[in-house]
Amino acid sequence: MILTGRTVILAGRPIPIAPREAADALTREVASMPRGLKIWFAALLAIIAVAVPAALVALPPGWEVLGTSPTVEWGILIVGYVFFAITTSGLCLASSLGTVFGIERFRPLEKRHAVLALLCLTTAFGLIALDLHYPVRMVFGAMLVPSPSSPMWWMGVFYGIYLCVLVVEVWSMFTNHPRIHQVTCTMAACTAIVAPATLGAVFGVLVARPFWHGPFTAILMVVSAFLSGTALLGVVFYGVHRLRLAGAERAASLAIPAIRTLLGIGLVAVTLLVARQVIAGLTSDLASLREATDALVAGPLAWQFWGRVILGLAVPLLLLALPATRTPTGTFVAALLAIVGVFVDRMTFVAAGQIAPTSAAGNVAAPFTTYSPSPVEIAIILGALAFVALAYTLVERYVDLAESDAHAAVTLPVPSLDRIKALLSPRRRAVVETAVAEAPVTPAPVTPAPVTPVTAQPTWGPAPRTDAR
Amino acid sequence: MSTPDDQPILRLDGEPTAPRRRRRRRSASLPAPISTPALTGTPAPPLVRAPAPATVAEMAPAAPDLPLPVELVPLTELAPAIAEISVSRRRFLGFGLAIVGGLTGATALSRLFPVFEETSSAPPPIVPAYDPVGKAWTFVVDSASCIGCGLCVVACKEENAVTEDGRFARTWVERHAVAADGTVYVDSPDGGMAGFPPTSTAPGAEGATIDAAFFEPRLCMQCENSPCTSVCPVGATYKTEDGIILVDPRRCIGCGYCVVACPYGARYLTPAAERAPNDAPGVADKCTWCYHRISRGSLPACVEVCPVGARKFGDRNDPDGEIATLVRERAPQALHPEFGTRPRVLYLGPSVEEA
Repeated sequence: MILTGRTVILAGRPIPIAPREAADALTREVASMPRGLKIWFAALLAIIAVAVPAALVALPPGWEVLGTSPTVEWGILIVGYVFFAITTSGLCLASSLGTVFGIERFRPLEKRHAVLALLCLTTAFGLIALDLHYPVRMVFGAMLVPSPSSPMWWMGVFYGIYLCVLVVEVWSMFTNHPRIHQVTCTMAACTAIVAPATLGAVFGVLVARPFWHGPFTAILMVVSAFLSGTALLGVVFYGVHRLRLAGAERAASLAIPAIRTLLGIGLVAVTLLVARQVIAGLTSDLASLREATDALVAGPLAWQFWGRVILGLAVPLLLLALPATRTPTGTFVAALLAIVGVFVDRMTFVAAGQIAPTSAAGNVAAPFTTYSPSPVEIAIILGALAFVALAYTLVERYVDLAESDAHAAVTLPVPSLDRIKALLSPRRRAVVETAVAEAPVTPAPVTPAPVTPVTAQPTWGPAPRTDAR
Repeated sequence: MSTPDDQPILRLDGEPTAPRRRRRRRSASLPAPISTPALTGTPAPPLVRAPAPATVAEMAPAAPDLPLPVELVPLTELAPAIAEISVSRRRFLGFGLAIVGGLTGATALSRLFPVFEETSSAPPPIVPAYDPVGKAWTFVVDSASCIGCGLCVVACKEENAVTEDGRFARTWVERHAVAADGTVYVDSPDGGMAGFPPTSTAPGAEGATIDAAFFEPRLCMQCENSPCTSVCPVGATYKTEDGIILVDPRRCIGCGYCVVACPYGARYLTPAAERAPNDAPGVADKCTWCYHRISRGSLPACVEVCPVGARKFGDRNDPDGEIATLVRERAPQALHPEFGTRPRVLYLGPSVEEA
């Protein structure tokens, strides 16, 4: 980066910063965008324009504008935080198959997942900062005076570590440090298991809330994370495929089928865990757990729950299973439904845990508490989603997110022919030496074979555009 | 501007921005400009510097007669390994060490000058003559005696500056009304602050006539195995030596974890209302058994004003005291023992059978 009095030269591109030139350059840039992109940006900016005043109103001491009450203290902002936090972890979990284990099918996911993960985690922290009444105290209080008995403290620790690792991962990705990138991807994959599990433990240790209590909450959170991250990648890579963005050839041939596999695994796992949760809840000895599960399945939360099960689990599974819908469009619809389903699932999860009022003071609704998000909360959540979409679109447009050719390959030592011959029996050695003498071939060096992009016309999707993006 | 507009004023690619001025240097390994070849797309040009003077004597030839106590040598000569690390990595390491050193220093300073009081060591007693050790404060509530007048709620709100909003109460009274078909409706209009109307105000049963009812005063149970103290992420809520659980309003961040964790609904987050306990809105708050009163030999405000003696408070360790006698003779029970929190508020009367 070079900064002069008039321009900033970033990656060889001069960007004017003098006001008049900058305004002209921005106008030219916006005018050169395709119409669809302009509409997309306009819509996102409109949502953010509503969300920013809402967020400012909700800052301390404005927390009365939130819809929470003493009986339902955790509302949709907490839901949003949980959703973005587990999506972050799921992104790293899903792409760890490519980055950590080097499986070629999952390689195309590597750059996009890191950018999305960083954006989602930043948004998650922003949402929790808006929900906390004194966020600055948390930064100092949690670090200077550790509280290891609190799962929420550990969650802060692990997600804090995760944020640092993600920053280094994204930095190393764009500054061509493959070894550091490999190490941080591995660390991120490990943290991506531990952090959502701890987030689940935040809910799971509470004896007071039978719907949350128990070991399965942590497991459900990790599996939901996997599903959510994979679904988000499915949505994004459909965009890569349809809009012919960077790396689109491998997206269609490798990334989308790989995501389809992962999405299927995630959907099946989540379906089984949800089934266990409902059956165990309805047959439990604890009356309070039975009541909470009943509220979920047949009570005030029934519409959301069954809507999620049908549209968010069953329909995506069908779309992935039926051969007729195993297309990129089918995968996209399945992924979109799945990720909306994860959000609705988090909503019902947080609501079901608090559905049984612990005190009647002030005549709270009985037998089930009621909570509906206030307009400020809805605006903040929509703003968070719009922010992630806007930031990611900007990154997609101005940064090269195609796979890099240099992967930190794990090179195994190549045993020399003499060493191999020394290990053989004399009779076998004679056979080998005769064969080598007759057909001398130098052993091929063990390097990863260069991947040839698939040039065959895919059997679905529109004809590739030949004009420049 | 002093430099022309096209002259670079900041470069992150290793090239100097202005004609190099003669500067005194103390060592050869000054931090170099950040060299990130990937950002500019070209490999960083090798840094060309004048050979560094090895000693201060060479740098200050104008005053050769000043005796120097120490001969300064470049860092790379003191630790040759450093010379083998590239300049960019040296700077990264130095940056990292600076950050770690800063954080360590901040932590050390915070230990020397505590910003927050340590909760592991016992704080000094509020009242010098009060010895918290050995006290076994216990509350006994008789739900058969309670008439639902609500004086306790009013007294608590006045004593502790709790907001008059009926949804937020440190202590409240619930009416458990049994309808004709045996269903139990629980209502608590404004926490019972203004008493109870003759018909039910329970959600879903407004206006229903009441055949039989009992009143259940509720407050913080000061559990021995409290879930609220263990889940606080910043350690703002803690237990005193005599077993009372308090909240430090300066440390609480208002996350609501303790509110959600309490099985008895005793906690709430103070609203930004006309008044707040300790003038601290937005933090977690709950009944403290009027710790400021009991440590001075008084009774909690709600116990003082109860006209029928439904609330009783005392030291269970006092063998002749009222509480010890009650516990011995009438065996009051805790509510919802299945939560495993071991509350120290014990109930007599219909509350126990219903719970």
